[in-house]
Amino acid sequence: MFLNQFLFFAAILFSIGVYGVLTRKNGVLVLMSIELILNAVNINLVAFGALHQDISGQVFVLFVIAVAAAEVGVGLAIVLLIFRNRRSINVAEADLLKG
Amino acid sequence: MFAYAASLLAQVTLEPFNRPAIDWHAVAPELVLLAAGALITIIDLVGLERVRKLMPTLTSFAFLAALIPVLTLWSQEDELPRSLFDGAYVVDRYSLVLKGLFLLTGYVIALLSTNYMSEGDYYDSEFYQLIAASILGMLVMSSSRDLISIFVALELISIPAYLMAAWRKRDLRSNEAGLKYMLMGVFASAILLYGMSLLYGLAGSTKLVDIAAALSIGESKPLITLAIVFSVIGFGFKVSAVPFHTWAPDTYEGAPTPLTAFLAVASKAAGFVALMNVVIVAFPGQSDVVEPLMAVLAGVTMTVGNLIALRQTNLVRMLAYSGVAQAGYIMAPLAVYGTNVDRVPSAMVTYLVIYAAMNLGAFAVVIIAARKTGSAEISSYGGMFGYAPGLTLAMTMFLFSLAGIPPAGGWWAKFELFRVLTDGNRYLGIMLAIVLAVNSVIAAVYYLNITRQMWFLPTPDGDTSRIVTPPALQVALALTLLVTIVSGILPGLVSDISGSLQLALP
Amino acid sequence: MNLGSGALGEIASRAVSDYSNFLREYLIVGLFGVLAFATVATFIGLARVFRPDRPTAAKIENYESGVDPVGDGWSQSQIRYYIFALLFVMFDVEAVFIFPWAVGLEQFGVFGLVEMVIFIFILALGLAYAWRKGVLRWV
Repeated sequence: MFLNQFLFFAAILFSIGVYGVLTRKNGVLVLMSIELILNAVNINLVAFGALHQDISGQVFVLFVIAVAAAEVGVGLAIVLLIFRNRRSINVAEADLLKG
Repeated sequence: MFAYAASLLAQVTLEPFNRPAIDWHAVAPELVLLAAGALITIIDLVGLERVRKLMPTLTSFAFLAALIPVLTLWSQEDELPRSLFDGAYVVDRYSLVLKGLFLLTGYVIALLSTNYMSEGDYYDSEFYQLIAASILGMLVMSSSRDLISIFVALELISIPAYLMAAWRKRDLRSNEAGLKYMLMGVFASAILLYGMSLLYGLAGSTKLVDIAAALSIGESKPLITLAIVFSVIGFGFKVSAVPFHTWAPDTYEGAPTPLTAFLAVASKAAGFVALMNVVIVAFPGQSDVVEPLMAVLAGVTMTVGNLIALRQTNLVRMLAYSGVAQAGYIMAPLAVYGTNVDRVPSAMVTYLVIYAAMNLGAFAVVIIAARKTGSAEISSYGGMFGYAPGLTLAMTMFLFSLAGIPPAGGWWAKFELFRVLTDGNRYLGIMLAIVLAVNSVIAAVYYLNITRQMWFLPTPDGDTSRIVTPPALQVALALTLLVTIVSGILPGLVSDISGSLQLALP
Repeated sequence: MNLGSGALGEIASRAVSDYSNFLREYLIVGLFGVLAFATVATFIGLARVFRPDRPTAAKIENYESGVDPVGDGWSQSQIRYYIFALLFVMFDVEAVFIFPWAVGLEQFGVFGLVEMVIFIFILALGLAYAWRKGVLRWV
């Protein structure tokens, strides 16, 4: 088993995903960046599961995949709702409510 | 390729499969709510428009029906704790109190939504089904002692809430509330998951108890710290702790008001339950990392929340920031869990119960008042005592409770916090207790400002016609008011239920 | 991140010799990649050397079946069927829970069957919901 290469790969994917979430203005691209983070998590879980000879890591991955699909489904529905009402999915333009 | 698949298959068939023994009574609350939720969906699909009016009643019954097994489990106290699925799911007194709290909160939310949803032009049947799904997630959360079930429960709570926040489809503000909540929430759960994957890697098991054992060996401390920080960030978003609170005020203002009450009470409480489960069960030996983190988060959260709440002119926004500050209070006991772990769950659960009653009550008043004034601006509450004395008295009681003034329940909740924090003379605890005391004074200013508005200032538009309160909202108001007052006058009753709670280890 | 220390580190160091074997296998992939790149580069380079080079404006225009191109390349496509796409993603992904059951079908026996019937019933409820609320109609 060569754990490090998987962990480094996952860490790089995670960093790219976080960078994407923080810098992208397009709602769909933010969701795609979040998918990158979730895939980093999946790689981590499978690699660790193989390291420990333990099945629960892979079970966890199945749940992450299923829940990620639900999250993205809901996310895209909300983004489309916004697009329908204001013809733009730029997150930075959503500023009616000021913190 | 096929040979490989066949070898995999051969491996699988070698191991005999033992059907897991399931304690059906222990999971009955969840099963009842699941079955009731499915039934409501089927009724909705068969009846469509004809059954719309029935939906709130049916959902309320679903919550009350799920409360019955909680009570029967509670009555068989000598059989607790019940441990299922190899210790991944534990039913103990702690989780039963929380299940009761979540079900009653769901019931009150259903009452608050009844008129709001039927009078607006919304899809209301789905709203109640989603509330039931979210509450189901909370029931699962309170028993979860495993990373997978905590994650699934958290998502079951959050995903319906994203949809409900954007429920007013044509309203851009509601869309925006949903978008912000969804993006922040999904991002937070992704970060939480990364922390969880590191924890799994350290322990080789998803069970919290095994993680605690693996972490206590004390190897790879930097990795442990990283995993803890990521997990805490993830939960910090859910409970709207500063600096992860930015979604809360916008979402609270833009979302439908009953959903705001739901987010401020139930969803936040569930976040704290997850935090408690993970910190107390999985990180018992890591107090040197977790305690300072929690102390800083709690102190910053309550201070920032209160200072921004002082400047708000909209009552819902003010309640949002006050909710951020309250999150700081609730989190405070976790800063001393290393030495006082026996008393931390009781103090936090007591606060959550009383917080649920007083905050739901305040939102009930907001919803009732908005039916007449059509606004949540603080100035619109001027002179309310003149034309709605009962409502004013109730709101005064809730605000006193939030500020921690006797006889309303909030003082007892705060008192419990102080007791835990000062117990054992920990430097961190005493410092946090002082910060908490200063913050209570700041908070009293803006809570009492609303009271002053309602009692002494003139009505802005001079419209002093009476406020008509529909029956559902009356019941909600009465229920929350009862809990708020009784817990303040007879705190012994609350501590009989939520005192001396422990997280049972499987 | 200090991943090299502790229990993980021990296992990692035990695996060092395996690791170089593993990398050696990838050497073939690397050589193949270099060869492929070199071949393509050679042919394109040769073509560039021998062909005449006379650029005109008409030559770099987009080719649309011989008709003059209209509008820009970033037009938005219709998303009226996105609900089908969303539904597809949901049900497609839920299948991951059915595969593990299918692998151990005989072992899990009646217990597994009942569990899976409940699971699929809840999924079917979702589909019935979409159908009954008129989501599946073509708009």
